[in-house]
Amino acid sequence: MVLEVTANKISDDAETKEGKAKDDKANELFRAEKTWFEIGVDTDRDMRYGAWQIKEIIDLTLPPLQTQKEQYLINFDTDVEKVELEAKLYYYISGGKGDVVYSVKKTLEFDVD
Amino acid sequence: MRQAPVRMLLALVTIFLLAGVHNATAKEADTIDELVAMFDDSKCAECHEEIYKEWQQSWHAKAVNSSLKGMRNFIAVGVAKEWNTKLTKDQVLKCLDCHAPAVNYASEKLAVEIGGLIVNAFENKDENAKKQLAKLNVGCLSCHNIKATAVARGLRGAPEKGVVYGPNGEDGDDFHKSIETPDLSRSVFCMQCHGVYKAPDGETIQCNTLSGSYQNSYISMGGSKTCQECHMKKGHLFPGGHDLDTVKEGLGFDVQFAQYQHLPGKIKGVKDAKKWVPSVVVTAFVENKTGHRVPDG
Repeated sequence: MVLEVTANKISDDAETKEGKAKDDKANELFRAEKTWFEIGVDTDRDMRYGAWQIKEIIDLTLPPLQTQKEQYLINFDTDVEKVELEAKLYYYISGGKGDVVYSVKKTLEFDVD
Repeated sequence: MRQAPVRMLLALVTIFLLAGVHNATAKEADTIDELVAMFDDSKCAECHEEIYKEWQQSWHAKAVNSSLKGMRNFIAVGVAKEWNTKLTKDQVLKCLDCHAPAVNYASEKLAVEIGGLIVNAFENKDENAKKQLAKLNVGCLSCHNIKATAVARGLRGAPEKGVVYGPNGEDGDDFHKSIETPDLSRSVFCMQCHGVYKAPDGETIQCNTLSGSYQNSYISMGGSKTCQECHMKKGHLFPGGHDLDTVKEGLGFDVQFAQYQHLPGKIKGVKDAKKWVPSVVVTAFVENKTGHRVPDG
């Protein structure tokens, strides 16, 4: 499971649909990820993937009935007037396939004068 | 006294029937088709059509072919190379006791053949092998007979041939004998396979750790729901991590954005050190509402 938080600069010329797609990477001001997972280890404490090899785990998952808080302080440059923030929660049923479980977006405008 | 011959006859018939049941149970299948016939799920569909349809869409119904990679690795890498051991029924059952419990009733030769089919199906993408393996799964009688009494064997005894075990023991139309077994509605029943598996020889196989976090974290935190209360909301479809609705139900997500202007001169590298710095604090709360750690298998 992965939490991804991004902030993208929105400028007037990037607000058309086509322009925004093209400039997404260039406009990215912030990106952070938090991953919840477990590491399987054998009796030598070597990391393993085979079910028969794993004898213990190192638990970096989200425990039941618990809420975890992830907090990010983001400082933009002094000329940034408008940003779009997005937080997405992905669930990976297998290594390669991640589904977006939740997504929250927020546009912020700053008075830079 | 006149009833004595009748009683003797009844006793003989009973002994004969019991012997028949014992022999039938002890008989081991030599082919996959024989094995399937011993635990023929299609008969269940005749009366329990809706439940059967749900099960057909479940991951239990494809518990072998959906896990070929892991089982092939165990057989071809674990058993063959790392342990340098001959493949036997006991080794095959370290996967199939859960992925296809009927294999407990396969002959030694058939179990080893099934192990070979798993390797062939994965390595050579052999469609015929996959077709054969598709007949094996976690079927109706896997839970309602083969595994039904395993969590309280001393109390319940071994599963009887032809008997259907269920939480209410209703017989229906006398199509089969039913025995009430509340164990099937308890978490410990699912935990036989959905957790660290302990083979009869002591080997631990760790496909997932669900039962560990259920028992040692969820229950100890005061949780009291059973596996079935969440994972049987859609009946015998048993939705879990593959079902996005179930994943959404199990997770909470709240994100807060606190916008502010940071004091000039305090943030290095900005274009104008004399200006206020546009800033935001993003706080995300991720809640695990399930009865086990997330993620898990």
